[in-house]
Amino acid sequence: MTAGARQPMRPRLLPTVGAVIAALVLVVAGLAVAAYNENTFKAQASREAQVQADIVAASVTAALAFDDESAAQEYLDALRANPQVEAAGLYNSAGRLLAGYRREARQALPTRVVNPFSAQSDGHIMVAAPVVQGATRLGSVYIRTDAEPPARRAFRYVAIGLLGVMASLVVVILAGANSVQRQANRALGEANEMLRLQIEQRERAEEALRQSQKMEAMGQLTGGVAHDFNNLLMVASSGLELLDRTQDPRRRETLRQAVRQALDRGADLTRQLLAFSRRSPLKSSVVDLGAQLDGMRVLLDRSLREDIVVRFDIEPGLWPVEVDPVQLEVALLNIAVNARDAMPNGGLITIRARNRPDRAVEGLDGDFVELTVTDTGRGMSAETIHRVFEPFFTTKAVGKGTGLGLSQVYGFTRASGGDARIRSEPGRGAAISLFFPRSTRPLDAPAADAGPPPEVRTPANVTVLLVEDDDAVAHAVGAMLSELGYRYDRAPNATAALERLESGQHVDLVFSDMVMPGAIDGVTLARVIRDRWPDLPVVLTSGFSEAADAAARDGWRLLAKPYRMETLAAELAAARADGPAPRDAAAKS
Amino acid sequence: MRRLALTLALAATVASAPRGAWAAAALEMAVKAAYLYRFAAFVQWPPGAFNGPGTPAQICIAGDDPFGNVLDQAVKGKKIANHPISIVRLDRVDKAPPCQILFVAPSPRRRVAETLDKVRGSPILTVTDSGADPADRGVIDFVLQDNRVRFRIDGRAAVEGGLAISSKLRRLAIGSGGPP
Ligand SMILES: Nc1ncnc2c1ncn2[C@@H]1O[C@H](COP(=O)(O)OP(=O)(O)OP(=O)(O)O)[C@@H](O)[C@H]1O
Ligand SMILES: [Mg+2]
Repeated sequence: MTAGARQPMRPRLLPTVGAVIAALVLVVAGLAVAAYNENTFKAQASREAQVQADIVAASVTAALAFDDESAAQEYLDALRANPQVEAAGLYNSAGRLLAGYRREARQALPTRVVNPFSAQSDGHIMVAAPVVQGATRLGSVYIRTDAEPPARRAFRYVAIGLLGVMASLVVVILAGANSVQRQANRALGEANEMLRLQIEQRERAEEALRQSQKMEAMGQLTGGVAHDFNNLLMVASSGLELLDRTQDPRRRETLRQAVRQALDRGADLTRQLLAFSRRSPLKSSVVDLGAQLDGMRVLLDRSLREDIVVRFDIEPGLWPVEVDPVQLEVALLNIAVNARDAMPNGGLITIRARNRPDRAVEGLDGDFVELTVTDTGRGMSAETIHRVFEPFFTTKAVGKGTGLGLSQVYGFTRASGGDARIRSEPGRGAAISLFFPRSTRPLDAPAADAGPPPEVRTPANVTVLLVEDDDAVAHAVGAMLSELGYRYDRAPNATAALERLESGQHVDLVFSDMVMPGAIDGVTLARVIRDRWPDLPVVLTSGFSEAADAAARDGWRLLAKPYRMETLAAELAAARADGPAPRDAAAKS
Repeated sequence: MRRLALTLALAATVASAPRGAWAAAALEMAVKAAYLYRFAAFVQWPPGAFNGPGTPAQICIAGDDPFGNVLDQAVKGKKIANHPISIVRLDRVDKAPPCQILFVAPSPRRRVAETLDKVRGSPILTVTDSGADPADRGVIDFVLQDNRVRFRIDGRAAVEGGLAISSKLRRLAIGSGGPP
């Protein structure tokens, strides 16, 4: 037995020993009580015999005084009622027997009794009581009783025996209970272990299932996105090719718009994907829904087709709501695009906004602002309605839909404290309603980017070191930089960029991708530059949301891909105006 | 058997036991003498019946004394209600003699009834011997039954004299129905 196994034995042993001691104490106490009882019983029996004799003595005085033998005999015979009385005799003042009673013939009576006495022998009690009338002593009554009838004595011994038996039973039961408990403990432990194993297995199985579901989702996602992107790239590249072949201004304009649309769609796609996968916390602000919708007219026009009419029906004086404006824009776009897809032959989209006071809408407590988008499209079956909010649920052909649109809509409204509902019937259009809780906070100031784009100042003789591993991207960005009036030098990775800087080449600004092959990534490069050339501004760029988030949190100047030329111009100009990386970025590294 | 028992009982009471018919009569009177004294233990006299503490209780005998020496022997050293006993033999009975027990010995010509009449209403336990006429019977009247000395009790006479007679004694009396 190991020390570890011995340890738990001691506390188990202690109660057993205690129990045995307790049982022994019980037996001893029981015997003491029995002995005490025995003594008191004898004393009591003797007292009883005395009383009995006294009673007889008091009754037989006259019979004794006047030698009425038959009366005396009758008194003595009355003792038959008491089974304990074995024999009784009435003796006159001379000590002679006048009358006698014997329960059984073989029992004898003393021939002479003169003085009162009380004696015990061998379980019998002999008592002689004086017979006195007034002051006159008339004689004696003798009574012999059985101190304890055999049945009663047997009962007493049985009781004592029972006590002993019970005490030993207590010990046995305790010992038994102990081992049973030990067994139960063992069984419990085994059951516990089994349960733990089962839980573990189950967890593993669930984890595997989750993993496979994730893989499946990823497969669908990548398949769909790749397909979408291919289509878009197809549109864009063919459009560009065609652009080179035609000089017809109208035709060129159409082509340019087609390319533009494909690229916008691509940007939307990635934005949705990021919104879905990142699950970033909402950047909510208190906004006027009417103003927000108004600002989206252009975006909607561009996303939809000419055969689709959009009508706005916005109640003036809408209550403020607290939402993430970017997410709201994405959600409305998702709904509008769905409506467009449901109306291949054109139709009407109505965007309606209304205040809905407390309890005006079933299931919603408090004031809400309702935003409903209605279309005249093909509508949905009840089964489809039931599933549209599921991520990746789509009825569209592979490559045409990801099934993430309404999932984003639902997630966004729920995260904003609201609700999303659908009313539709096949062939009768669809109405998607979003409810946002009324905000008690005042409206936030409009975001800075809502204003007109900053004036693009043409930089004179400014050299940008462009760090970018992708040749195509480098080429495109280089073209934009040139277009903006910058001179630029490209380094394919961070190491090459550092070499350029160390060689003393003149650089006014570093514009670097974040995720690059090689030993050093964008953020590290930016740190090295800040340490060694503190006056040199750095702007980072990335298409990866996580990397971008991390850099932005550290205070680096950041441009998220994809970006437009105006944005690039503004960011670079701002970086040059502000100088190197902000101080808190230095503090954090 | 009963005879023997009585003989045995009397032998215990009487110092010497003579034999023969005369002996039987003597035995009978000895028993009566002993009983005469023993009645006292079962009788309660009204307050004032005794003269005072220390004064003797008197057992009086009216008429021809049938006991003689036997009675004196029987009461020797005995007491009645803590009073020593003295035996008084009366020649004639006046109204209310100072006796606690009065034995009216049998006599001819209605002498017994007259004597009883004189003490009627006094706290005196009158005892007679085999009164044939009820008028000749005192509170207690000896009766010889089955060759044994028994007695009967006149409860009304006892009440008239203010005497309380123990139920134990009454139960032994003839006509009481015996012991419970
Ligand atoms: N206005 C509508 N009318 C008819 N059916 C609709 C409408 N909106 C959505 N649906 C149905 O709901 C499905 C799910 O829509 P959801 O926007 O989530 O994904 P999707 O449009 O298929 O793909 P994605 O929007 O990601 O490109 C659609 O495939 C379509 O069947
Ligand atoms: Mg959609």
